Amino acid sequence: MAALLTAGISDYSQTMTTATIDTRADERALIKQAQRADARAFEALYRMHIDRVYGICLRMTGNVSEAEDCAQDAFIQAWNKMDRFRGDSAFSTWLHRIAVNSVLSRIRKAKREQDRITAVSDTGVATVTTGDTGELRDLSEAVDRLPEGARNVFVLHAIYGYSHDETGQMLGIATGTSKAQLHRAKRLMAQQLKQQGFEA
Amino acid sequence: MKDEKLMEAAERLSKEIRPERDLWPEIAATINAPAAKRWSPLFAQAAAVVLLVGASSAVTYMTMKDSMSPTVVASTDMIFEQASFGNRYYLGPGFQDARNTLVADLEIELERLSPETRADIQKNRVLIHDAIAEINLALEKEPENMLLQERLLNTYREELALLRRVSSLTRNVMLRNDI
Repeated sequence: MAALLTAGISDYSQTMTTATIDTRADERALIKQAQRADARAFEALYRMHIDRVYGICLRMTGNVSEAEDCAQDAFIQAWNKMDRFRGDSAFSTWLHRIAVNSVLSRIRKAKREQDRITAVSDTGVATVTTGDTGELRDLSEAVDRLPEGARNVFVLHAIYGYSHDETGQMLGIATGTSKAQLHRAKRLMAQQLKQQGFEA
Repeated sequence: MKDEKLMEAAERLSKEIRPERDLWPEIAATINAPAAKRWSPLFAQAAAVVLLVGASSAVTYMTMKDSMSPTVVASTDMIFEQASFGNRYYLGPGFQDARNTLVADLEIELERLSPETRADIQKNRVLIHDAIAEINLALEKEPENMLLQERLLNTYREELALLRRVSSLTRNVMLRNDI
């Protein structure tokens, strides 16, 4: 697990392998099988990617239940759209894009942002278990308290390593807006962390 | 916390978070459902629309079937009045006679009115005749168009109402003169 935590984004799909599936070639084979409606192959892909997809959903929604729904929705959508995946980008990127869309549309449709804030403030850290400890746990909570726009950019760019262009595309915003939101996120988080006693 | 340190710490945050429960069974239940079921909301909506349109068309047809027949497209020379055909859109010789009588009297009765009133009435008659001609032209292209048929009937009614108003007006003038 430690190796996974220190792994870079670019080689993510290799480090996420299981005992039986350990190369990108395997992933490509699974994708082809899933495109032929092989549910078992798709389950293998699910097992490979669920933790990161769920991570994105949880970091963006800040709510376990919402994150579970978004992750499930993302995989169901991915299954329905498997024939449209042509391999132009990494499968993980394609999947993450679907997950982000799922989160955004859920937030938009249900107008749950206020509920999310309420839920988080009502239930505290126990609602969201990210696995972060110590200083990182405080940082994780600070991320969770960010306003929606700034939080989404921070999650995708700062945590998951997507470029501002990619982040902008995923969120449907301009690259410049992504940069501005990141700046805002950093400023807000610095204020929060300073109040909690963290020094530069 | 400075930007660099913040970003460095952000990179160390957990990217992979295991859900507290296995989400696969619910996903599997959805994706293993029959294809038709998977698309059921779309099909249901489409079916509902078809059903609604079909039902409303059937109801409209049944309702209109008795009330609208027989329908006759009238020329501008023909005339009818509501009292002559009741609730049925039928143009018969009675309407033509009624109109001919009114038109014959019109010229005489108009003479009793002021030039300004005569001009107004003639202007209205021209407008009505133009409308009748235009609707008839349109009906030649779309003889089954219910809206056009309805408009034609209404326009004829307007013409008859105008003629009656003129007759009534001149009779009142005469009565006042008699007094």
